[in-house]
Formats: sequence, C-alpha cells, structure tokens
Amino acid sequence: MPTVIKGIDIHKRYVMGKDNYVDALQGASLEVEEGEMVAVMGPSGSGKSTLLHILGCLDSLNKGEVWLEDRRVDTLRRGELANLRRNEVGFIFQTFNLVPSFTAIENVMLAAEYAGKGRREAREASRNALSLVGLSDRERHRPTELSGGQQQRVAIARALVNGPKVIFGDEPTGNLDSSSSAEIVEMMHQVNRDTRTTFLLVTHDPGVASTCHRVVHMLDGLVTNSH
Amino acid sequence: MRILRNVFRRKLRVLLTIFGITIGVLALVVMGSMAEKINMLVSGGTRYYSDKVTVAAEGSSMFSTGPLSIGKYDAIKAVPGVAEVSAGIATLLETDTSVSFGIPATIQGSDLRGQELESFKVTYSDGRALRADDSGSVVVGSDLVGKLDAQVGGFVSVRGERFQVVGILDKTLTGPDTSVWMTLADAQRLFVQDLPEVIRSQVDKNDLVTSFVVYPTEGTDPEQLALDVNKAVPGVKATGPKAFQDQIASATKIFSAILYGIAIIALFVGGLSVINTMTMSVNERTREIGVRKAIGASDGQIVRQFLGEAGIIGLIGGVSGLVLGWIAVVVANKLLESSDLNLFLVTPRLAIGSVVFALILGLVSGLYPSLHAARLEPVVALRYE
Repeated sequence: MPTVIKGIDIHKRYVMGKDNYVDALQGASLEVEEGEMVAVMGPSGSGKSTLLHILGCLDSLNKGEVWLEDRRVDTLRRGELANLRRNEVGFIFQTFNLVPSFTAIENVMLAAEYAGKGRREAREASRNALSLVGLSDRERHRPTELSGGQQQRVAIARALVNGPKVIFGDEPTGNLDSSSSAEIVEMMHQVNRDTRTTFLLVTHDPGVASTCHRVVHMLDGLVTNSH
Repeated sequence: MRILRNVFRRKLRVLLTIFGITIGVLALVVMGSMAEKINMLVSGGTRYYSDKVTVAAEGSSMFSTGPLSIGKYDAIKAVPGVAEVSAGIATLLETDTSVSFGIPATIQGSDLRGQELESFKVTYSDGRALRADDSGSVVVGSDLVGKLDAQVGGFVSVRGERFQVVGILDKTLTGPDTSVWMTLADAQRLFVQDLPEVIRSQVDKNDLVTSFVVYPTEGTDPEQLALDVNKAVPGVKATGPKAFQDQIASATKIFSAILYGIAIIALFVGGLSVINTMTMSVNERTREIGVRKAIGASDGQIVRQFLGEAGIIGLIGGVSGLVLGWIAVVVANKLLESSDLNLFLVTPRLAIGSVVFALILGLVSGLYPSLHAARLEPVVALRYE
C-alpha cells in the first residue's frame, strides 16, 4: 500500500515566555498507509494531539518533515495549506465543533463551499455525505436539536464531503457515551471500508483503539511503538 | 440567510449596535435634508442670478430693499449692453412674517418684460403663465398650494384681496416654490396699501418698484454691466451674479458643512460600536474560526465572512435610519407647512449616500476585527476556551 502520510523526526516547541517552553514533540516519526485506520494512544502531554495537528497541517513544526503522499507539506504557505485542508484532509473533533446557528446540512455545506463548490453542488454533495452517515432525515436540524452521536456524525459528514485522503480525529468519541461511541466507531469503519479513506485517530479509549488496524503509542513527544 | 443568522446570534447586542448606526443615519438624513434644501435654494438662486443684473435702491442688501422709482427704467435701459429691463415688486406674502429659517413666502409682481430672455425657465403643473393683462390673477408656487388652498380657476386670498388662480408652478426646489406671482400693478397696489400712512400719502403707487431685472445683450459680461449701471444711473445699486455667490452661497456652504459635520460625528460613534460588537463577536467565535480554518477556510474567506457581517449591520442600520429620517422629515415638513417653513428635502443622493455611507462605515469598522480573525492560527483558535 502506498504511504499517504509521513512524518519524519518532527520537533515542536511551544514557547510561553522567556525560558518557559514545552517540547511537545522531540523527534516523532510516523507513516500511515492508504486505507489504514490508525489509533494514536499515550498519556496526557505525550504529544498525540500536537502530532495530529502537525500531520493535518493545522500547526507548524520547528524541525522535521511532513509529507502527504509524495508532496512535502510542512513548507507550504498559508494559502496553500488552507487549500490542502479543504481538499485533501478532514477533521473530527472531540467537541464536534459545529456552527450552532447552522442546520446539519449547512454545516456540511460550509466545507463544500470553502472547497469552491457552488451552492447547489455543495447541497447535493452534503446530502450524499449526510446520507452516508445515516442522517438524511436530520439535515434541517440545528446542532442543539441533535444528540451527541448525531452531532459527531454531522462532523464526519463535514469531514467527508470533499472526498479527503485522510480524516484526522482528535478524540472523536471522547464526549460520547459508550453506545454513541460504538456507533461512531462503526460509522468510521464503514466509511473506511466504503471509501478507502485513511483515518488517524487520537484516542484514550482502548476499546476504540482495539478496532483500528494499528495502534501507535507515544510518550514524551516520541512515537515509542506501533503494533 | 446564513449571514443574518450569524449576525443575530447575540440579538440584543447586535440590535443595540444597529440602533447606534440608525441614530447616526437618522441624524445624517435629517441634518442632510436641511442642508440639501438650502443647497437647492442656493443653487436655484445661483442659476437665476447667473446671467443677469439685479438693480435695487441704493443702500439695499440681499435681505432688505427700499423702494425705487419706475422712472429709473429708461436710464437703465439706455446703458450700453442692456437688452431689456423688467420692473418688479417683491414683498412678503404676509406682513407679519417673523424671522424665517428658509425663504419666506413672497409676492412677486412683474411687468413681465424680457420673459423671452429669461434663462431660468419654469413649468406649470396646471394652468398657464401670467400675462401682462392678467389683472386680479395670480400664479401660485407649488409650496403655497396647500396653504392658500389654490386651484386653477378658483380664488385665493392674498393680503385680504381675492385673486383668481390662472396657473400653478411645478416644483422648482428653489425661490419660486414659495412665491405668488401677479402683475406689477396688482403688486404695487398691495405693496402701497400696507405702507405706513405717512409714507403712503407721499408715494404714487404706480411709480413704485423694489427692483429691476436687467437682461444683458448677448456677449455682455453681467458683472461689467452691473458696474456700468452703477456708474450711469444714480441712486441705484446694481449687482451681478457674483454678489449672490459672495453673500449667500458661501455662507450656506459653511452652514451645510456644520450640519453634515454633526451628523457624521454621530455616525462615527455608531461606527465605534460596530468595531466593539465585531471584536467581541470575533473573540467569542475564536474556536469557530479555528474550525472553519481546519475545514479549509482561507484567510480571505474569513475576512469576507466577518466583513459581510459588519456590512450587514451597517446596511440594516443605514436603511432603518433612512426610513426613520425620511418619516421625521415628512412629519416635520407637514407640521411646519402652515408657517411657510419647508425646511427639509431628502434628495436621491442624500438617501442613497446615507445608506452607502452606513454600509461603508460598517465595512471599515469591521475591517480590524475581520483581519484579526483571519490572522488567527487554526490550532491556536481551536484551543481557545
């Protein structure tokens, strides 16, 4: 299988003030193959989310390289990064992060419109994405009218709508009860099977990790093992 | 409309901000309509005086004229460069008119000579122009139709005398709107009858005029002609177009600037509240901005979103301010109608200008918060609590 994401010797330092800094990543490296579903585990402060953000082009690094397929992306400019985020990657967050004043379909359409689709085309693509996550009958509901599991499904539809190569999930089941969590995990597996979309998920939940193809462990800013 | 839903997420705060802009635009419309009315009056006057010489009694000013003898007619007519001279009487419609803000209603009597040379053409909404033999008849300016209850063929009362209305003027937005036009002889009779008894017994009403309008021959400079008339005819004061410009137009420009200045200060206060609202909105929605960036929004798209929201606030404030201002102006004009005061005029350029100004103000005020939002790093915005 071809490699879809590759992080090489990534270092990240957060500077809070003079002589006050945190080395969140100290040489982390990771490769993910196309169609893989990979869980990243580790204790709080081990650098899981930082690694996810850097690989997903949401954050910059101090040293190292990030490749998306055969393209180096850590050297791209702001505009190029925005373009990449809208077309090639998708994100799911622990707190769903839907726009509260928008309906389910409008939240999904937002990503489609950012990617340059016209209103009609964006609506059509968003309907398909919502149908894929089983929410066709909730498209006109606002986030407050949906359960946590349903909100996360809207977020998955939003991440899917532009046909990304990789979806990054930062604790996607962290705010859900166990049955909703299982539902979302199954949903992601279904999308992974149906569309061959690669998933990289940061999770604390061993149950979620155990369903993935591979689990990567991190400690003190380094990838310690992968199995 | 998604943008409206975003704007009205914090209803009270946004409504208060819009109210701020509304008050500013209301002030702009009301103050501006006063300035526009004055500007129209002045530009009408500038146009009227642009190609002629006005002759009044020596010692007269733009604001008060003494009586003149019609006997000066021949002397003025004889000055080289004079094509025609028209004798006239201008007097207040009501003798008890107090200090007025606009142009007070007047009676204009004229011998109607030189009408073919008059470049300031008036048109009639009903009836016809006055003729030299129209004794006992009047033409009524558009602003006085309601006050005098005038209709063509009917009668109106002017200083206690009945006159038949033969014509009603179209709106000119300047002097003629508040004038009643009659023959020179009729105007002389009304003018003299209200003079104090001591003076009345000493004057011949048929000899009395208050001014002459001098039409220059083609190619004659009216300023030079005014100088020539002053030199050739003793006891008169001839003025050219520049006198009107100097005495009236310049003064009203300053007045207009003050009116607009007050309104624009009010609007800038409204603009500051837009900056405040948008900055708070950006702060509250920092996480949302992070999410939007994570799903692919470019800096430009974030700027456009927040600028759009600020623009909407400006636009709604502008339109509601215009509507309220317009209502205020219509009501004020209606209330002042009976006292001859028609102080306000909402012109298309004022109406469009106020709304566009409010929109631009909203956009400019939203610029800093929008740029601030766009510059946020996605991951920093996402971590914002």
